[in-house]
Amino acid sequence: MSIVRVTKEVVFLYKIILQLLVSGIAMGFVYGLVGIEYTLIWNSTGLLNFSHERIIMLGAYIFAGSFVLQTGLSVLPAIVATIIAIIFFAVFVAYTIFIPLRNMSALCAIMSTVMLGNIINESVRLYYGPEAITVKGFLTGMIRIGTLVVARAYVVIIFVALIILALLLLFMMKTKTGKAMRCVAQNKNASSLMGIDVQKNMMITIAISFSICSIIGLLVIPLYSVKQSMASMISLKGFAAGVIGGFGSLPGAIVGGLFIGIIENIAGMIFPSTFKDVVAFVCLILMLLLRPSGILGKKRIS
Amino acid sequence: MLKVNNISTYYGKVQALHNVSFEIKDEEIVSIIGANGAGKSTLMRSIMGLVQPKEGEIVFKDEEITNLKTNKIVERGIVYVPEGREVFPALSVEDNLEMGAFSKKYSQRILSNKIEEMYDIFPRLKERKKQLAGTLSGGEQQMLAIARGLMSSPELIMFDEPSLGLAPVIVDDMFEVIVSINRQQHIPIVLVEQNAFEALRISSRCYVLENGEVRMHGLSDELMKSPEVKSAYLGG
Repeated sequence: MSIVRVTKEVVFLYKIILQLLVSGIAMGFVYGLVGIEYTLIWNSTGLLNFSHERIIMLGAYIFAGSFVLQTGLSVLPAIVATIIAIIFFAVFVAYTIFIPLRNMSALCAIMSTVMLGNIINESVRLYYGPEAITVKGFLTGMIRIGTLVVARAYVVIIFVALIILALLLLFMMKTKTGKAMRCVAQNKNASSLMGIDVQKNMMITIAISFSICSIIGLLVIPLYSVKQSMASMISLKGFAAGVIGGFGSLPGAIVGGLFIGIIENIAGMIFPSTFKDVVAFVCLILMLLLRPSGILGKKRIS
Repeated sequence: MLKVNNISTYYGKVQALHNVSFEIKDEEIVSIIGANGAGKSTLMRSIMGLVQPKEGEIVFKDEEITNLKTNKIVERGIVYVPEGREVFPALSVEDNLEMGAFSKKYSQRILSNKIEEMYDIFPRLKERKKQLAGTLSGGEQQMLAIARGLMSSPELIMFDEPSLGLAPVIVDDMFEVIVSINRQQHIPIVLVEQNAFEALRISSRCYVLENGEVRMHGLSDELMKSPEVKSAYLGG
């Protein structure tokens, strides 16, 4: 009798850990994508984009508010339309704010991206109204994998994140524009001497970054619904992910993201789940104290 | 080929170049010598559009290029191999070479032929083609910078202090390579150097810059004999 009960408990615990791992990995990829999205802009222009939280949110609003509810598009065309809209927005922002700003003092640059975030936030409130929007049936429900039952959203997040990472890797390693992007990140002077149009290349980077933001926004709709504060926690933890992984490193952002995602979910087993968010930031501070260069970051020689 | 007419360039309020005029003709090697801070690199940077001259004009193949963006100037066929080499440290040697041809729409076949051509001139680069450029020695980085510059088949190439920080044995090789680029590929070369003796030896004409002004210019052989140049740049 008792053996049967113990085995049952072990199996139960095992299942819980697996479920937490799946949700931890999924959230880890979300944080990792956030880390990548702002690292791309940081590497290319030297700007920290503090408006990224609002751009993630804007993507979700454009998708849910404009294309699904107002226009009545079905999900797939709505996603494509959202990404196209965000790319237009990115080109506009790149040439009017980000590219002119990169030669200004860091303080000016930081304030301006914060202000851009506020402008987006207030405009969204005025245009879409203050109430949260839900998209019925979008990425909801559960999926059964063997005996494991997990939220469909988590599986989709992992799947989409892997596709984005693969495409980004291919783009940056194999295409001329992608290689030029890496050159611009390493040395702008030398890049222009190769004949690279550095400003145009920055614009492309910003457009890619904003597109990733909008996809993150779509992916987390089932978790947070479409509201103005939907991205506040993930954008902060995504930032932490970048620092923990090694600031400026794209693989580092993913490693840092997975690290936070898995740790905070496993910690939820030990501590009350309300402490989940604390865990991520405790990790961040510990990392800053013990290894400021991050997991994959290079040690700086001074 | 390239004509610089009376340019003046400023960094903020500091005037770095005063009415500098300079010319290079087809198939020539022209050297520019001068002390640190004489304005040699500023002249190069002004030609490339990395800084905008406030006055004067720059004419390349009878067309004005004074206020063009750097990438447009590169597209016209001027290549500048900057001081300090500035290779892309986190790109492989081969990718660095490929980026040198960014301004050209080469097919994959022409691109690999071009890269092979560079490996023939610099066999060391072939041995290290998969290595990250940041892990190369100073001399190898300089070879890579030169090869990268040649990748776009330029019509004019300007070298800024190619001998800086290199071992004396490698310096000789470097100047030999520069001369052979000029002789074999018929590319006119502007050579900016602090090593005045070598610069005068391999160039046909020379400009001496001092405090942002052209102090003297003329045939290298004659300048080599001038007492002024001798005492200031050739160590007596």
